[in-house]
Amino acid sequence: MRERITFIQKLGDSQEPSAFKINGGVISGPEIDAVREDKLTFALDDLPSELHTLLYGIHELHVRWVSPVASETVAPFLARLPPGFHLFFTPGKEGVAALNDLCPTLSKVFGSIECSTPTDSFTSLPSDRFSHSAALQYFQPLEDLSRFIQYAKHQLCSNSNSRCVARLDRLAHASSLEVSYDTISHALKITALWPYQHQSVYAASQPQSRTEVGVLSADMPPGLEPNELGISGLLTVLDQDSESSPVVFSFASRHQDANSGFSTSFLEPTGLHPTLQIQLESNQPPSDDASCSAHAYLTLPRNIFADKYQLADDLFLASKNLTALRYISQPVDLEAPEYVMKSWGSAVLLELSPPDSEKAQSWTAGIPLHLRYLLPAKGGYESIQIPYPAVFWACTAEEGTKFPSNPFDRVNLGYDGLFGPRTVFWHVEPRPVGGNRLENTVKVPVLDLDKSQWVNAGTAIVVLAGFTWIMWKLAAVLFRSGHGGASPRGAKSVKEKKQQ
Amino acid sequence: MAASTNKHVAQKRGVAAPPPGPSIVASLFHRPLPLYLSAALLRAVLLLYGLWQDANSPLKYTDIDYLVFTDAARFVSRGQSPYARETYRYTPVLAWLLLPTAQTTGNPFWDAVLFHSGKVLFATADLVAGWLLERILTMGSTGKTSRAISGMDAARARKFAAIWLLNPMVAAISTRGSSEGLLGVLVTALLWAVLARRVTLAGLLLGFGVHFKIYPFIYAPAIVWWMDRERMAAGSKAPTKAASKQTSNVTWINRIVSFITPARIQLAVISLLTFLLLNAAMFILHGTPFLTHTYLHHVTRIDHRHNFSPYNTQLYLTSSLSSSSSSSSSSPHPSKTLQIESLAFLPQLLLSTVLIPLALAKKSLPSAMLAQTFAFVTFNKVCTSQYFLWYMVLLPLYLPGSSFLRDRRLGLAALALWVGGQALWLQQGYELEFLGRSTFVPGLWVASLGFFLVNCWILGVIVGDVGEGAVL
Repeated sequence: MRERITFIQKLGDSQEPSAFKINGGVISGPEIDAVREDKLTFALDDLPSELHTLLYGIHELHVRWVSPVASETVAPFLARLPPGFHLFFTPGKEGVAALNDLCPTLSKVFGSIECSTPTDSFTSLPSDRFSHSAALQYFQPLEDLSRFIQYAKHQLCSNSNSRCVARLDRLAHASSLEVSYDTISHALKITALWPYQHQSVYAASQPQSRTEVGVLSADMPPGLEPNELGISGLLTVLDQDSESSPVVFSFASRHQDANSGFSTSFLEPTGLHPTLQIQLESNQPPSDDASCSAHAYLTLPRNIFADKYQLADDLFLASKNLTALRYISQPVDLEAPEYVMKSWGSAVLLELSPPDSEKAQSWTAGIPLHLRYLLPAKGGYESIQIPYPAVFWACTAEEGTKFPSNPFDRVNLGYDGLFGPRTVFWHVEPRPVGGNRLENTVKVPVLDLDKSQWVNAGTAIVVLAGFTWIMWKLAAVLFRSGHGGASPRGAKSVKEKKQQ
Repeated sequence: MAASTNKHVAQKRGVAAPPPGPSIVASLFHRPLPLYLSAALLRAVLLLYGLWQDANSPLKYTDIDYLVFTDAARFVSRGQSPYARETYRYTPVLAWLLLPTAQTTGNPFWDAVLFHSGKVLFATADLVAGWLLERILTMGSTGKTSRAISGMDAARARKFAAIWLLNPMVAAISTRGSSEGLLGVLVTALLWAVLARRVTLAGLLLGFGVHFKIYPFIYAPAIVWWMDRERMAAGSKAPTKAASKQTSNVTWINRIVSFITPARIQLAVISLLTFLLLNAAMFILHGTPFLTHTYLHHVTRIDHRHNFSPYNTQLYLTSSLSSSSSSSSSSPHPSKTLQIESLAFLPQLLLSTVLIPLALAKKSLPSAMLAQTFAFVTFNKVCTSQYFLWYMVLLPLYLPGSSFLRDRRLGLAALALWVGGQALWLQQGYELEFLGRSTFVPGLWVASLGFFLVNCWILGVIVGDVGEGAVL
């Protein structure tokens, strides 16, 4: 196992090497304001057998969980995803049919993952644009990692190893967790990120593992290119280095900070066709020397969907400050109720249309959505949570710009594969409204089970009554004049009419 | 006997309908041109208005279904399957008919004309259906048909055809791009062909109609029942007395043998062949997607988004119970509720395909077909307002001589209840759909049951009228 622990502070905050005590595989230092990232790399043989068997049938797999609680982050941890449980994966040679254990295993590891089989529940990602993106996608809201923490404790911590347990418990405060595997590296990487906060620097090495600790800051070394991020600070390999060694490096990053924010809300009343309003603080593109366009990437649970046909009309789009629907996962059933859907839901990429003005101004884009019918419930209403979208400006970097992988890079985010390789994503920060949660609640009207006890009997009685009335009238006709031609009385009246 | 005196008064009024003095209304019906011209004009104005609204407002005049048809036509024009378009649940023939809408010239004006040409087709179908109504209403005067068709004079016939031709709801639906107008022309043409004893044509139309939209199969028993030996052989002779004589003193075998007539066999063979050959051709061309989308979808659909059907709320409840009972055992009476739902087709099919044809077809085929359609739509598990067009096209054939026209108060009450029932339902639907209020029970449920009862009452009156022989 290898471990990398990184603290990253904001620009201008830096620490002297003398501030750290390195002793017997333990590093400790002062309290700092920083983001912390722990990255653990496991060899396949170190894993529990059920995971080992499962990963055998998988080409690549990326689980990304993002907390629904808003938190601050710093460069280079800028790539954003809608909060919830994301899964991107490509099956191995055996194909997707051999992976019917995937969903139960995911549920065992992460808690209530509501997928049945990859064939039924996953959607395909376009494979024609970007070679490195995974084949299949899954998403659902997931509140926290409590089940994962239990599972990991059970699998990883031997005999009430209190340090191991305490470390895993800290995951309860993480802002994101990633689990990645691919056949090429043959290793499982688990990356946890804690939000920017006041904390003390402390790390201890594990037996039979290499632990590297970095206490770094954002930096602007001379000669930094427009799409590059600079980092400087101290690196220490525990059990190996007796003191920290200073580092300065820079790398091209496809994820940048747009230095503005957005929030979302549903237009009231929501009805069955709620409009998600995205309020953006600025209409100014983040980069002057590149062509940029604003986008929103939504992962919509199966209880709500966007209608691609409605989003095809330019006038309609313009009235909502939208430019075009760039991508929607297929297929999206436009009619089925929620409780018969097996697919996880749908991913939607929309290009937004900011008002054209020299001066920065706030603005709002509206995304028309449609609710599915939900299961009947007592009281007649059901509350559902819709995660915030990821909002970013996609700017095209100059010809020849390359983004080699960097130590903090993130790919397979669902939307990155929908853009060209020279695209830089300038992320707009999600800001919660009234609280700290990055989700919107919709009150969905459903059939009220408190009042539905008469529906079956009432419908049957009324239908029977209507049917009986018509039968009565038909019987009267048959009794009076049989099933043949018109009755004499009728014939007479026709004759009379002819005479007139 | 108050009813009969009423009837006499009404008939006098009816005869005196084209008033002596030349009025605009009378001159509208006096000659064919003004009526058809104004019907065409009404549609042209609506179509052009629709173009304007589509170009200037985010709210579209064009029906979503029209975009489905034209998308499907575009797929077909590129050599793909029309079922590549989601929610295309029709025969490929519809997409072929709309192939001109997929053509492009490079000139935006002509492209727009081509794109909207489908609406012109639907609106033209409306006009042809109206013209066929006039033909059917005046049929007796040619001397070729039986007594069952009275043959009114052309001006009066046009007046009743105007109920369809100048109906704003009909004109709006077809100019918004809904294909129901095609069905109107198919059904009126079928009826005309039958009444004109054109059995081959009737068979072709019946087979094609069922292929096109399934529901016209309900007309088959009525037409077959109506086509008895006497009627088909006699033509202008008075056949009813001979028929009633024959019904006494005959064995069952004789009855069955005499039921099998050349015309009935001809109709059955031709309509079945048409239906089967069309389906075989479509199946060869498009395989299972054709079957699943055109036919099986209607059997397996669990789309219970609120609609006028009396079963709507119950279907929502049942579908949720059956889906949750598969995962948990929380459903109280799964077998009982499922049973009621699967029985729903019984009253519908019993009325529309057996009892109404049997009791009414020989008395008045057009009105029997109206009653069948009315029963089919009223008792259907899904019911939206475009289904109302299915029976509306037959209304002008029933109304002359009906209680609703004889007793104006009754007629107005029926109209008010029919419109009011829908309005009440729409109001509850609006609260649900746009205000998010849970109006499923009692609101929508009671409104749909109320509308159902109104429809049953109207259907009862129609049945009574046909039984009395008061209608055409």
